Amino acid sequence: MSMDLSKISEKLISGDVEGLKQMTEETLQTDVNPGDILNQGLLPGMDTVGQRWKDGDMFMPEVLRCAKAMSGAMDILRPQLAEGDLGNAGTMIIGTVAGDLHDIGKDLAAMMFEGAGYQVINIGIDQPNENFVKAVKEHKPSLLGMSALLTTTMPRMGEVINSLKESGIRDQVAVIIGGAPVTEEFAEEIGADLYAPNAGSAVDIAKEHFEKKST
Amino acid sequence: MKMNQTINRSTRFRVLSEDQIEQIFYSALEVLERTGGNIYHEGALELFKNSNAVVNGNNVRIPTTMVEEALNFYPRKITLKGRSGKRSLHLQKDTVTFGTGSDLPFTHDRETGKRRRTQYKDVKDAGRLVDALSNYDFFMSHGIVGDAPNPQTYDRHQFMAMLEGCTKPMVLTSVDGEGLEDLWRMGCLIQGGEEEFRLNPLFVAYIEPISPLKNDRSAVEKLLFAAEKKIPAMYTPCPSSGATAPATIAGMLVQSLAETLLATVLCHLKNPGMPLIMGGVTTLLDMKMSTYSYGAPELSLASAANTDISKWLNLLMFSTGGCTDAKVLDEQAAAEQMMNLFYSYLSGANLIHDVGYIDHGTNASLESLVLNQEMMGMVRQFGKGINTDDDHLALSLIEKQGPGGEYVTTDHTFEYWKEWYMPELQDRSDYETWKKNGSKTMSDRVREKTQDLLDNYQPEPIDENLNKELHKIVDDADKRHA
Repeated sequence: MSMDLSKISEKLISGDVEGLKQMTEETLQTDVNPGDILNQGLLPGMDTVGQRWKDGDMFMPEVLRCAKAMSGAMDILRPQLAEGDLGNAGTMIIGTVAGDLHDIGKDLAAMMFEGAGYQVINIGIDQPNENFVKAVKEHKPSLLGMSALLTTTMPRMGEVINSLKESGIRDQVAVIIGGAPVTEEFAEEIGADLYAPNAGSAVDIAKEHFEKKST
Repeated sequence: MKMNQTINRSTRFRVLSEDQIEQIFYSALEVLERTGGNIYHEGALELFKNSNAVVNGNNVRIPTTMVEEALNFYPRKITLKGRSGKRSLHLQKDTVTFGTGSDLPFTHDRETGKRRRTQYKDVKDAGRLVDALSNYDFFMSHGIVGDAPNPQTYDRHQFMAMLEGCTKPMVLTSVDGEGLEDLWRMGCLIQGGEEEFRLNPLFVAYIEPISPLKNDRSAVEKLLFAAEKKIPAMYTPCPSSGATAPATIAGMLVQSLAETLLATVLCHLKNPGMPLIMGGVTTLLDMKMSTYSYGAPELSLASAANTDISKWLNLLMFSTGGCTDAKVLDEQAAAEQMMNLFYSYLSGANLIHDVGYIDHGTNASLESLVLNQEMMGMVRQFGKGINTDDDHLALSLIEKQGPGGEYVTTDHTFEYWKEWYMPELQDRSDYETWKKNGSKTMSDRVREKTQDLLDNYQPEPIDENLNKELHKIVDDADKRHA
């Protein structure tokens, strides 16, 4: 049976959290391929949301509501997905480095990645370096995100990268960093792979990186 | 139930105490009894001679009883209707509207960057911007049509250019009584007759005395015609403190109030119940450059005080804001325009004009009109004050989210962030994003927005038959003055 998956996109774009969950469950009862629900329903919906945000037609509270809807649908869908269905949207570890208790920027980024289909493991604020390393070992994410809001805590991010190297797992994960005092230049200096100037652009930057890598 | 609560539904601002207003009012009455004003118009002198006023040559002194009687007859509410057919401008106490100024001889040419004489097309373009930009409520011509066939009929051509560009209510200047009559006849055509115009005026006539205390023939002609036909009009003194008025703000306010009160008595003698609006561009003469300043902080202060006085007198107020002495749209322009926009708005003046003026009232700038759109939006937002009802105090939400919680995903945020001001041109991006998007300054964005509106915005056209009838009045005037 054929199913109009654009209905799922529309539900997502409208930010209807419960409605989208229900629709996802109902669609799974039909013989539609779970991968198609993701790739022809949810992800195109989030692409539209992202584009509208960039164009100034949607704003953060609305975008986050869509992200929440996406994440709710993904919780239902993820166990049904075959390997490879997720593409690059894999697992992500995210946290704020030691000494820094600011979490809203990092949380916003986490929500955005969840909205893009990532399984995000948010390890929280004020995390000692070894906790980042431990989480990477345990969850084998494709992406590690770190943020710092204070110039005094920024150097911790470089230390985490060094710890990853020492543990021999630096190459397993792409590192993306952000936070108000962080710059592209600083990211290069400490050997991070990616830099996002704000929570909104992080997903696009990661997406672009993985697309480049896979070609 | 809480008792004795006072809730501010808007931000509050006032310069003068009631006692100070009374001091200024009594002083103005004293000026009219002791010094009087000069009038250069036979008909008006005749009216005063047949009253309790004392006329000596051109000088008229007016007893207080005449002023107090006249003041009882002015409306506390005037509603204007633009040619779009919407009764959009409700002038009443503390209701604020914004509009452009008028008749600037020069225009900042957007292509050459130089100033040149203003033309018909510039007035129409300004009208289109005012029509398109939401924070403008009324339109004055911004520039003066320098390419009209005859300076004696420029006002009719200017009105046509304004009508072609803009559907909003207007404030119009005119050459003389005859000019105002033509404008009024055109207005009546648009509104559907004299009676309809009286109930739904399309425009307010701009008229000014000559400070100190002089009333020239053409100004009085216009006033008397407006009184006869009950056309809303403002008689707006433009004193320069230190030159055509005392160097003290209080003295300037006393004198300009005396000028206004004289007009209230004159109009009352002519035809009681005329919709007269108080006005004033009360500023100073710059003592270094001998220019009439549109950016001095004293302009803001004196204008706000004047509005306090108007409210106490139950008169509607025509005030000034959004203007600057800067020759181009630079940092000085933004600073000065913002300051006088801000305080004129907070004062509660009814018609705030001159928005967008640069070069102390000589140069027109379309980009300045666009920049002011954003600044008016910011000012209006500030004026909204702070809601303190239970939902806005958000106690239960604060408890629910708790220490370390977040608000960005809550329903409360989803609902209430929409109360915030939504910038159109302000840049709030982070540095890297700003750089990536071309490192644009406010000037760049203003220029782009202006171009975009000029390229794409067209107002509702004027009905073809109506347009012909309007042109006939203009053509007849040109023939009479050929």
